[in-house]
Amino acid sequence: MSVPAFENGMLCLPRMLEDPRRSRAMLLSLVVATLITIPLADSLYRIPIQVSDSLEPMVVARKADSTISLLENSATFSPTTFRPARYLQARWLLQLADRASLSYNTVFRGVHVALLVLLIALFVAAVRPREWTDVVAFGVAFPVLIGMHTFLAMLLEAFPVNHYAEVSVCALAVFVLAQHQPKWYVPIVASLLLIGALSVIESGVMVWVTVLCCAAAGMPGIRRSTVIATTVLFLGYLVLRHQLGIVTPGVGGHGSGFGATFYSADEVAQRFGAHPAGFMIYNVIGGLASLLLAEPRNGVYSLLAAWRAGEIHPVVTINILSSLASTLLLIWYAVMHVRTKRADWPDATRAFAAAAVIMLVNAALTAAYIKDEIISVGGVFYAVCTFIAVRALIVTLPRRTTAAAFAITLLLATNAALWTFRASGVHYQLRYDAFKTRNDWVEVLRENERSEWPNDSRELQLTRRLRAEALERHTASPSFMPRWGDRYWVE
Amino acid sequence: MGRVVQSLAIVAPCVVLTALSAWWTVSLALGGGLWPPDQVTLSEAVATRNNAEALRLIQQGADPNRPGFVRDGLLTNGYDVTVRPVEAAVAAQRADSLRMLLANGASVDDEELRVLSCIEEQRHDSGVREILEAHGAAHIACDGVRLPTDRTR
Repeated sequence: MSVPAFENGMLCLPRMLEDPRRSRAMLLSLVVATLITIPLADSLYRIPIQVSDSLEPMVVARKADSTISLLENSATFSPTTFRPARYLQARWLLQLADRASLSYNTVFRGVHVALLVLLIALFVAAVRPREWTDVVAFGVAFPVLIGMHTFLAMLLEAFPVNHYAEVSVCALAVFVLAQHQPKWYVPIVASLLLIGALSVIESGVMVWVTVLCCAAAGMPGIRRSTVIATTVLFLGYLVLRHQLGIVTPGVGGHGSGFGATFYSADEVAQRFGAHPAGFMIYNVIGGLASLLLAEPRNGVYSLLAAWRAGEIHPVVTINILSSLASTLLLIWYAVMHVRTKRADWPDATRAFAAAAVIMLVNAALTAAYIKDEIISVGGVFYAVCTFIAVRALIVTLPRRTTAAAFAITLLLATNAALWTFRASGVHYQLRYDAFKTRNDWVEVLRENERSEWPNDSRELQLTRRLRAEALERHTASPSFMPRWGDRYWVE
Repeated sequence: MGRVVQSLAIVAPCVVLTALSAWWTVSLALGGGLWPPDQVTLSEAVATRNNAEALRLIQQGADPNRPGFVRDGLLTNGYDVTVRPVEAAVAAQRADSLRMLLANGASVDDEELRVLSCIEEQRHDSGVREILEAHGAAHIACDGVRLPTDRTR
């Protein structure tokens, strides 16, 4: 085995020569991430378990006679989805809460907070700040991660665990593994992450996409064995779906936006069902535009709606300007670095190329309908790309003229300010969601409609407990929050 | 321009957010934090569309028929008022709040129905009007009727 350091006459390994400032840079980045994440975790934890999307799977999980029967039946719940772990997770977490004498809110929201923390820890690991320049780039990229509208989508929704956050964690974990030297366990870990992600939601395919993109970009941690193992698993998953008679959802299965209007599933089927190709192309372009330009949201172009209404809210302007500036930066990096031969790419360029293609592929998943959640993995990798591009631009500053350096600094500082403003608005939107979610429970088990209460005692007991826990969860009313928040943070 | 100045300028927004987050964390530990849950009366909960808090207060023993303090800016501008929860619901144009109160012990007699109808005359809401009409409200002349949401001093 050759050891370059020894060949050069050095009597120590490169790791031993590591600049102590590198660890300080990582430590400082971790401190920043931790301080920003703590109140974010608090804001997330305050949201009660939702009625929509959460109550139904929890009831199903509670009423199942056994875990095995739940697993068997999960294949029959929907003709277009196969998400067995969705119900299994709910069942296990309910059991955990019962055995540990914890509230359901504590357990389910605790898991959501753990996912948030894991995602942020993996992001720090993915960008690996090692020098002070990295810390500066991190100071721009971290608010991009949090301020991105797709990040909020991973916090607002729960089914009752947010599967998109789970998929993002799995994809980012693969990306982190890909950055390091290959280890024997990488194919096993990547395969387990893929299985886990695919068993909760179809977007779990992004884990496989991440493996392929990292391998194609020549990232060191992903070898052929990992690609083969995950590809075989994914093909097996497709065969299993086929065997179970589960089909891919087509146009009209969900509501989606077009132009300045959001259409219900029936309306989408009526308008585009006969000739869906154009609508699907529109969606894919829209998904990519949403990642790169913050528009459209769920297929609806707020800018178009604002133009029609004759009034544009500041939130739209802020989101578009910040995303546009960051995207131009990514384009600059791609033009300057990716055009060289792949074999000559440094690690950062390989990571950038992989992350950028992951974004593009993620946008393609919006073909049938656009939701912010679907492109949430792409949003995470957008922040990774931003880190790499900002870092590369900062490195060039000493070589530039004073005027150019000043202009670039001003541009980066302004863009960082816009993204930080977006990131701080996440608290506002989470508070708003907590308020709304808690109020939704008032409409459940209404005293004057006892005839509509569930007949099944287990369902009634679970619903009663969830409702009581939600009502006990104090939240801030938007009436006591700054009124301008709606115009600047809520689209 | 020095590299340090450039770097500080670029990271300044993130430093501000970090400092604010640290402050929110400390104040959270001290019982406050960013936008902590409100301490409200039943009438204020209704006035702020906080049906869940209103229901929680009723379940904890708050009287849904007792007038409660509502601070300036929630139902009125420039002065506080003391109103019954149902009056707050009508003034806030919240049919869902009114329905919830009526389902959880709030009562409306003829005199109160007249007051509610007159508040609704001022602050129109079709959902509220529907509920009031279901309780027997008819269009009445509200001239000279003193409403609890009016300025008293």
